[in-house]
Amino acid sequence: MTTDDSMDDDVFESSEDTIAQAKLHITQNAHKTVPSPTGYRDYKPPAEILKLCETDVIEDTNQRLHKTILLGDSGVGKTSLLVKFDTGKFQPGNFSATVGIGFTNKVVAVDNSRVKLQIWDTAGQERFRSVTHAYYRDAHALLLLYDVTNKTSFDNIRAWLGEIREYAQDDVVIMLIGNKCDCGGDRLVRREDGERLAKEYNVAFMETSAKNGINVDLAFMAIARELKLRQSGNKDSNKFSVQDYVREETEKSSCPPCYTT
Amino acid sequence: MATNCEIEPGAAVESALVTTDSYENFQQMSSSLEEIKNSNYAAATPEEFLDNCNNLDNDIHLTCSPVTSSSSRDEDYLQDEEWLSKSKHVFVLSSAGKPIYSRYGNEDRFASYFGIMQALVSFVQADDDSIRSIHAGDRKFVFLFKEPLILVAVSKTEECTIQLTAQLNYVFNQIASTLTLSRLVKIYEQRRNYDLRRLLTGVDRFIDHLLDFSENEPAFTLGAVQCLPLAASVRDSISTAIVQSCSKIKNVVFGILLAKSQLITLVRMKKYYIHPHDLHLIFNLVQASESFKTIESCWAPLCLPRFDSSGFLYGHVSYLAEDCQACLLLLTVEGDAFHSLSEAKQRIVERLRRGNCLEAINASLTTREETCMEMGFPELRHYLYKCKSTAQFYQPTKGAPYSINCKRLLNLYKQAHYKLHCPTRPLKLLFERNGNDALLAWDTPGFELYAVLEPLTETSSAITTVGRLLSWIKKREDKLFQLNAPTF
Repeated sequence: MTTDDSMDDDVFESSEDTIAQAKLHITQNAHKTVPSPTGYRDYKPPAEILKLCETDVIEDTNQRLHKTILLGDSGVGKTSLLVKFDTGKFQPGNFSATVGIGFTNKVVAVDNSRVKLQIWDTAGQERFRSVTHAYYRDAHALLLLYDVTNKTSFDNIRAWLGEIREYAQDDVVIMLIGNKCDCGGDRLVRREDGERLAKEYNVAFMETSAKNGINVDLAFMAIARELKLRQSGNKDSNKFSVQDYVREETEKSSCPPCYTT
Repeated sequence: MATNCEIEPGAAVESALVTTDSYENFQQMSSSLEEIKNSNYAAATPEEFLDNCNNLDNDIHLTCSPVTSSSSRDEDYLQDEEWLSKSKHVFVLSSAGKPIYSRYGNEDRFASYFGIMQALVSFVQADDDSIRSIHAGDRKFVFLFKEPLILVAVSKTEECTIQLTAQLNYVFNQIASTLTLSRLVKIYEQRRNYDLRRLLTGVDRFIDHLLDFSENEPAFTLGAVQCLPLAASVRDSISTAIVQSCSKIKNVVFGILLAKSQLITLVRMKKYYIHPHDLHLIFNLVQASESFKTIESCWAPLCLPRFDSSGFLYGHVSYLAEDCQACLLLLTVEGDAFHSLSEAKQRIVERLRRGNCLEAINASLTTREETCMEMGFPELRHYLYKCKSTAQFYQPTKGAPYSINCKRLLNLYKQAHYKLHCPTRPLKLLFERNGNDALLAWDTPGFELYAVLEPLTETSSAITTVGRLLSWIKKREDKLFQLNAPTF
């Protein structure tokens, strides 16, 4: 039966909301007992409608949208990072500046439960700042990118952090990302410089490559995990958990070492 | 010459597009934004578009060969065969001579040429005059000075000065569209030496695309748009879906659905019209942006210079669905309407899906239009039909011999269009034959028709064919054109 399929275990395990559980039980009981709640004997609403109702219940309780915004100078690879994460594809040599701001929804699995990320891609150019600032306020997480082959984009990170402090919530999760770490000899920003800056501002840090896929999933998964922990009201978790997680995962994973010159 | 039709095909009582002559000056721009913000109901003064075209002959004709001596250090481009072989160069500089854009090559390396261009413009300007063009051999140097920018085209194409100026105007409008004209002017009032490229990162791609687009699409020459052929009932239900889904949202000015470079429908706010030139900028924006394709929905400020050059409209831009690559734009004056328009978009897609409109759009997108031969006009090779009152045009699929060499066909059209719109001596009717093709161009108060025929076609049979063609179009007008102008 379709309705039973969607009653997978993690709904009950991860559900903190007892009302939701109760609701689910009612729905479950409703079409097992006769007469049905519609008042017609033996009437069962079509399976797809029942399923719709139930997914709604699940989404309302567990599927809060986590807004994550990609920020950074024009051309550092925000859109590429998102496209790589979303579709697994990378289009080389096809730079097209993003216009304005836009989002893509993506559901990821964290510890057997689903976390719904709404990932916002922004235009890096100055002329779009007035549009993008308005969206910082509801952001739960910010991925701040620079390009390791472009010193200016790294130097501008402090200005970006200043803007974030001005417009975003105080408890927003921030991750600093040095993109294009596949560059080899073209590198102009050392990994240590990125790490030092991240430490100074007490934010998580990693280097990624949208081209080779290095750390792309890890970056978004770390954010998803942190957001899920926060949502479940785990007060022990603080900013450092992302950093620790990132450190652990980068050590575990067998990603090729990023060359520093 | 008499037509068989009472009313020209494609004509409608109302049009959502401002109807124009394509060579009209771009200087007049309306200020509609304040009006909409202040009151939706106050009576608006009709937008009057004055034609400022003065036909003074400011063209300088040189008989000497182009001067190539330059004492600068940046001579490498003049040695560069590939760079020199480009058929049309376009440069944009500030009135102080600072580089902003070059179609080919890095504009920083032209610093000295930009200096020469600026000197030429300001030298002529000192006499309260303005330089329009310099003709040297097969090359035309066309200048457009629109405070605070100077735009220059260096071309060896067959396009005439007016057409080149029109393209420069498009480039100017593309820049104004990203920044607004008011901001552009203000920037240079504050700092004459400002490097505008700081604010225009990424815009060069749009200008590149716009130039290619304007060279290859007859829409730009005609100052009109082509509609995606759809049954009138389908087009109407699409418009209705857009109107109903946005009914509760304040200040949505335009709803535009387009696919490829064709318009599916255009819904507008009462009293407001969109200019075909602005619509071309929108087509260009959608086609040149990769990000719209990867993102579910996008929110971008956008200035439509002919609509209001002083402020931004905000555009909600999204492709309808994975399985239907039509792009929907909802333009509003409210800067914070993104979420309500995202919801409206969902409702529109649901309605269209229920009404089987997505299939209809897909079917039309995958069906190739008939060639003239298939339409039953063996002596006709290709044609452009523009209905003036709605600023829409139609063209069939290009058949032989233009399926490969369509540049030649476009050139024929451009030349014929110029002869019909030449400011000093416009023609009403033109029939030309040469070894390759015959061309009949006809300008009436209601429509313009450009028909390319077999080279051996006699005048009389050309006229019969054109008469037959007009009634053929008339019969299909509700499919080929959007005949109504739905409003929110």
